[in-house]
Amino acid sequence: MESVIEAQGLTKDYGELRAVDGVSFSVPKGAVFGLLGQNGSGKTTIIKMLTGQVKITEGDCSILGVSPKVDPVRVRSLIGIIPEQETPPSFLTSIEYLQFVGRIRGIHGIDEKAEFWFDFLDFADKKDVLCKDLSRGTRQKLMFAQAFLDSPEVAVIDEPLINLDPVMQRKVKDFLKSYTKEGRTVFISTHILENAQEICDSFAVLHKGSLLYTGSVAELNEKGKKLDDLFLELVNRA
Amino acid sequence: MFEIFVCMLKEEWRMHSTLFGNLNFALFPILIFGMAFMGTFLIPFTSRLMDVNMLAVSIHSMYCIMGLMVGSFGIMGKEMMNRRFGQGSLLIHSARSLPISERRLFGNFVVKDTLYYFMLWILPFCLGFLIASPFNAISIHYPLLMFVTASLAFLTGMCTVFILSSVYSRSRAALYAVIILAFAAFVALYLISGDIMRVMRLFMLPSEIFLNFSFPLLIISAAVIIVLFIPAIFLFSPETHAGEKRYVAVLCPLYDRLSRLPFIRGGIDAEKVSASATSGASAPAASEKDFVYAAAQKELTIIAKDFIDLHRSGIGIGQTLFSFVLPVGLIWLVLSVLSDVLRPEQIFMVIAAVTGIIASTMYTWLTEFESFSAYLFLPVKVSSIIRAKIMTFSVLHVVPAVFLIVIAAVTGVLASAVFAIVFAFSVSYYALAIMVRYSGLSPSLMLYSASFFLRYSLFLMPPVIILLGLAFIATGFSLAALILIIPSYFLLKGSFEKWDREDLPGF
Repeated sequence: MESVIEAQGLTKDYGELRAVDGVSFSVPKGAVFGLLGQNGSGKTTIIKMLTGQVKITEGDCSILGVSPKVDPVRVRSLIGIIPEQETPPSFLTSIEYLQFVGRIRGIHGIDEKAEFWFDFLDFADKKDVLCKDLSRGTRQKLMFAQAFLDSPEVAVIDEPLINLDPVMQRKVKDFLKSYTKEGRTVFISTHILENAQEICDSFAVLHKGSLLYTGSVAELNEKGKKLDDLFLELVNRA
Repeated sequence: MFEIFVCMLKEEWRMHSTLFGNLNFALFPILIFGMAFMGTFLIPFTSRLMDVNMLAVSIHSMYCIMGLMVGSFGIMGKEMMNRRFGQGSLLIHSARSLPISERRLFGNFVVKDTLYYFMLWILPFCLGFLIASPFNAISIHYPLLMFVTASLAFLTGMCTVFILSSVYSRSRAALYAVIILAFAAFVALYLISGDIMRVMRLFMLPSEIFLNFSFPLLIISAAVIIVLFIPAIFLFSPETHAGEKRYVAVLCPLYDRLSRLPFIRGGIDAEKVSASATSGASAPAASEKDFVYAAAQKELTIIAKDFIDLHRSGIGIGQTLFSFVLPVGLIWLVLSVLSDVLRPEQIFMVIAAVTGIIASTMYTWLTEFESFSAYLFLPVKVSSIIRAKIMTFSVLHVVPAVFLIVIAAVTGVLASAVFAIVFAFSVSYYALAIMVRYSGLSPSLMLYSASFFLRYSLFLMPPVIILLGLAFIATGFSLAALILIIPSYFLLKGSFEKWDREDLPGF
């Protein structure tokens, strides 16, 4: 199967600290891939390396055939990204923020696309509110909207359901599953394993910067195993 | 209670040492000590040119402005931290999670800030002055007194910002009224007395104590601080949530308007910019022209956002008043007493040089309240963000230009205005280039970095002093400052490559 994300021996050092140590994996086209790990296991650092937000210390990776080492801006132009705990610029309104992202990304018909997301994520009433005055949940919706504004081939999401209420979580999960049916790919990082088992097709378990396991959820379901049991087993063994 | 105080001290130290590095930050007071020590040796020479009263007022005003800045950060700290670091806060804002009142936290915060900045700014300066004084036949009475008066000036600044912010949190109109009243009182006293130095010494009472010490004055100065502080502590409210603010979307119209400005547009056809966006300008097949158009579009978008930020946050007006007009105006008043030794044109050129240096700090207005991780996941280079900030910086230069024209008109040297503007702009862009080279998108975070401070001073001051010397010979020679365009260009060019190569630290 064609893979859209490839990582080979990805390593990142922050000074003396090795945050990620020689991680390799590939993500097939049309899948929801989950990168699972505890807090501080290196998930966000891997996302930052994949998307060219931080420099790679060793190894290489590519998204849609483009290496962030060679052209990080191009990688980010091809994909949608929802970073962890990100706050949009304080003094733009929600609609202005989507216009801002749209202009940076060179998207046409921004307003129509933004309207769709305001309606879909049910926050049209916050369109003209300053980002700094939005609740965390609404900010997460806004970040979701900016990432999917132009239906990118690949979406990279750090903790996709964080701060969302149960109704919105269900909506987003259903959306992510249907999104990949159209041949697009979603890469998520999370430590909420129930969500991962529900929406992911394949996954990788990361622990203290090293990869412990890669597998598919279908296999796990066939064996009647729960992802959190496997995860605890792997982490306790490591 | 003492634990809170100690934790606040640790918090302040860790915040600074994390931002600037332990050694760089620890060296900062030593740098201040060294500057004060060496500066004292210059007093016998400068006193021939400059009135000692003026020097005293300047130093105390500097400490007062520092108090204003430190107090502002305390009040605005949470907002600034959130904008800059995403999620961050200070202990002063922890009344909700700790069984301690906001007022008690605030009291601890004030004592902590006084002690901390006394150690960081006042103690090393006064020690340098004290140790060098005997070598320069200066009575040690003065440096010892300065420990007290500089602290009073610092506290006056800090308490002023506390009371002003308390007034602001209740009524913006009242704040403006207080500022206008203070300004009117200053002007009225000047008109009555006709002696600017006397009025300045009255407003900056610690400098008067320094020059003519008396216990009643000391008591009055302390009383002023207490009078400012007591209502501030009772009215203090760090959380001023004003509810949801709604605005009509202006980003796109502003973008369109800015794209018509010739020096921003750089001759780029707006239709082509738009066309390049649809064709995916970053695709490998896209021509180099398309890349330029796409980059221009990104930069224009950031510029439009910056102007919205400046307008809606109030930073534009606040910074223009407190970070530009106030210090430059103060320097203008101080320099005006040099009219016995310098020609009006020469004084004007000194003002132009100082205006240029202060104008360069407008770059920090555009960068200090923003988290750059907000850009990192977008397809935009760090160099594009810096370029956009420089273009906004260029538009903001209308402020120093107007300021210089006003001064030229008031002081009767209008014929020198163009020369002064060229001089000030050249200095400003050169100082900007040094800032960008060494601090990228975080110039304000480098404030307490000894190495940055030293490099900045060494690169900036010698050429500015030489060029000022030329301008003193003949106003027309100030055009020689245009030569600074060359190092500025190369510094910026190298900076773009450097900051695209490096990870943005800490964000």
